[in-house]
Amino acid sequence: MRTILKIALGAATMLTPAAALAQETVRLTLWHMEQPPHRVERIQELIDAFNAANPDIVVSQEPQNWGEVYAKAPAALAAGQGPDLLFAIPDFTPILKDIGALTSVADFVEELDGKHDFIDTAVEAYSYDGGVWAVPLYNMAMNLWYRKSVLEEAGVEVPQTWEEWRAAAEALSRDGVSGMGLPANKQLYTDQTVYSVMVNGGATEIYNEDGTLRFDNPETVAAYEFYTNLHQFSPADSASWTWGEAEACFSAQSCAMVMQFSVISTYDTQAEGDAEDLGVAAIPSKDGEDHNTISYANAVMLLSSDEARMEASKKFVSFLLEPENYGRFLNMEPGLFMPVTADGAQAESFWSDPMVEKYREQIETVIENSQNGRLFGFTSGLTFPSIAAISAQNIIAETLQSIVVNGQPAAEAVAAGQARMEEVAR
Amino acid sequence: MQQSKALAFALVAPALLFLGATLGWPLVQAIQLSLQDVRVIGSPGSFVGLDNYARILSGPAFWNATGLSIVWVVANAIVQTILALVAAIILNEKFPGVRIARSWIILTWIVPTVVVVVIWRWLFSTSGGMINPLLIQMGILERPVGFFATPWTAMATLVFINSWRWFPFIALMMLAGLTRIPDDLYEAARLDGANAWMRFCRITWPLLAPTLGVLAVIGTLLSFNVFDIIWLLTSGGPAGGSRTLPVLIYETAFKGYRLSEAATISVMTTIFLMAFAVIATRALDRTDR
Repeated sequence: MRTILKIALGAATMLTPAAALAQETVRLTLWHMEQPPHRVERIQELIDAFNAANPDIVVSQEPQNWGEVYAKAPAALAAGQGPDLLFAIPDFTPILKDIGALTSVADFVEELDGKHDFIDTAVEAYSYDGGVWAVPLYNMAMNLWYRKSVLEEAGVEVPQTWEEWRAAAEALSRDGVSGMGLPANKQLYTDQTVYSVMVNGGATEIYNEDGTLRFDNPETVAAYEFYTNLHQFSPADSASWTWGEAEACFSAQSCAMVMQFSVISTYDTQAEGDAEDLGVAAIPSKDGEDHNTISYANAVMLLSSDEARMEASKKFVSFLLEPENYGRFLNMEPGLFMPVTADGAQAESFWSDPMVEKYREQIETVIENSQNGRLFGFTSGLTFPSIAAISAQNIIAETLQSIVVNGQPAAEAVAAGQARMEEVAR
Repeated sequence: MQQSKALAFALVAPALLFLGATLGWPLVQAIQLSLQDVRVIGSPGSFVGLDNYARILSGPAFWNATGLSIVWVVANAIVQTILALVAAIILNEKFPGVRIARSWIILTWIVPTVVVVVIWRWLFSTSGGMINPLLIQMGILERPVGFFATPWTAMATLVFINSWRWFPFIALMMLAGLTRIPDDLYEAARLDGANAWMRFCRITWPLLAPTLGVLAVIGTLLSFNVFDIIWLLTSGGPAGGSRTLPVLIYETAFKGYRLSEAATISVMTTIFLMAFAVIATRALDRTDR
């Protein structure tokens, strides 16, 4: 009896650590760049729901900002203090992949695709070098926003071609109002607006298939010339604009039209909030056909090298993409973040949000526009790591500044832009 | 004698060790990094000797940034000295509320940089900002202007904002210098028939000069290293018009992913500033003697 007791005690003693290990909580850190308090709050609600449903996993969020994360994440990972999950845009992944911090999540993405059906372009931007380096989470697409009443009053139709666009901007520029709010800052927003014009003028590709640059071409020059021409109808301080200033200009009715991912939130809370009067259209194209735009599929990178943490991370991402949670996730900023999955686009949790219900017409247009989305450096099915440095240094925007601020001819500025791209790509 | 030397060394040693750990070691690492070709933090690099130095010195970016840094320092020194001197002279007078004024003047200095940036960005904005309408009402402008829209207006606006932030600190230092000037000197000058301007030129300025000299050295070093206000307001733009050396270092390291090149610029900047500090300190010593 005593022997049996000893064996039982021994076994129990040996099993205790294993049992404790099995019960050990997996702690995950999520870095994201959705800093506005209401977005942080919504993400926390989802994290709380996940943690409650998964007692063995504790996710915590640490909001970062886009301005710093490109430098902070590699440093944190090098110091072994990096996050387990990190939100990304396509040009961010090559940086972390190059320092060996990323492993392909192709199998996981395939599994999620089978379940939710990703929009193909959302996955393509993260698929290169034989792997898939992040899981797409939400889409953003640039659009042309206006007030229907303002256009009607000026007798202006929604522009379809570049010629109509310029004429509309000119006609709408009166009584201290700028016809078209366009940034010319050396910043990501300007990269996005310039590229939105480029893709509508046949200048979609920045790279040749062999990885050499083809930025310097007649289509790009024409796009820059048109943008510069249109920029004269923009407010005087637009050379220092970021997204916020454009939204503020539109809300304050100082800008008749703006190019923006979404103005719904500021229009609803800081302007009239009249859904009937808010217009959104595809970015006009040179000849009025095939309207394109810049479109970003934001994603999440899974960075854990530890198997248990990686599995927990996948569980959390799967939770976010479940239709009952996904709509709530997207609506942390209603009207800005669009679904990247087929079942997400139909999700009750997405469409039942009061703000989404109110601006349903506009959001449907934005989703439609995003179907023709492009992103510089990720258009040919091939991805070249140098796009990270080109994007981080905002060379597309820098080229515009040479024209708008320094008065350099577009052809010269574009040639210099290509030289800069080649320099940073070396 | 030897004992007192040992005691002096023992007393200074903790400070030297602290400086060595917090300044010396990072500097050694920066020099080491500048001799390699590391791009992203955490990635490996190989030894390239002085290649980075040759590349930086032969390119225009470093020299443009150096030129802008000098413009930035000189412009700030002029604007801040004028504002601070006027404020210090006023605060050195005896009038009701002078004590409150001396306390309140430091308000701009204690406000966090981010708040300063948000305030001025909004004030200068053409959409709802106050400066443009005010200048139009006063007849100075015909239509709104973008203060950050051209290189020179952006630089001038940045100098104004930075000076607005820092002049109270310098004013208080000057005020400390002014209070050390004996009233008897002014009294005697008045009896000799000297007017206010003559009293300033013959008494205030010469006796304040040592304080101004120290402030010039400290102010130059502080101004040279300003990064936050410039980055938050213009990010070095437009068209590189406010890309001073600290901005260039940040851009090169964290936007261009050329950590070693950024370290090279940092090392050269440090050498330049150290040389300036040594020369200026010796000049001040000589003046004191």
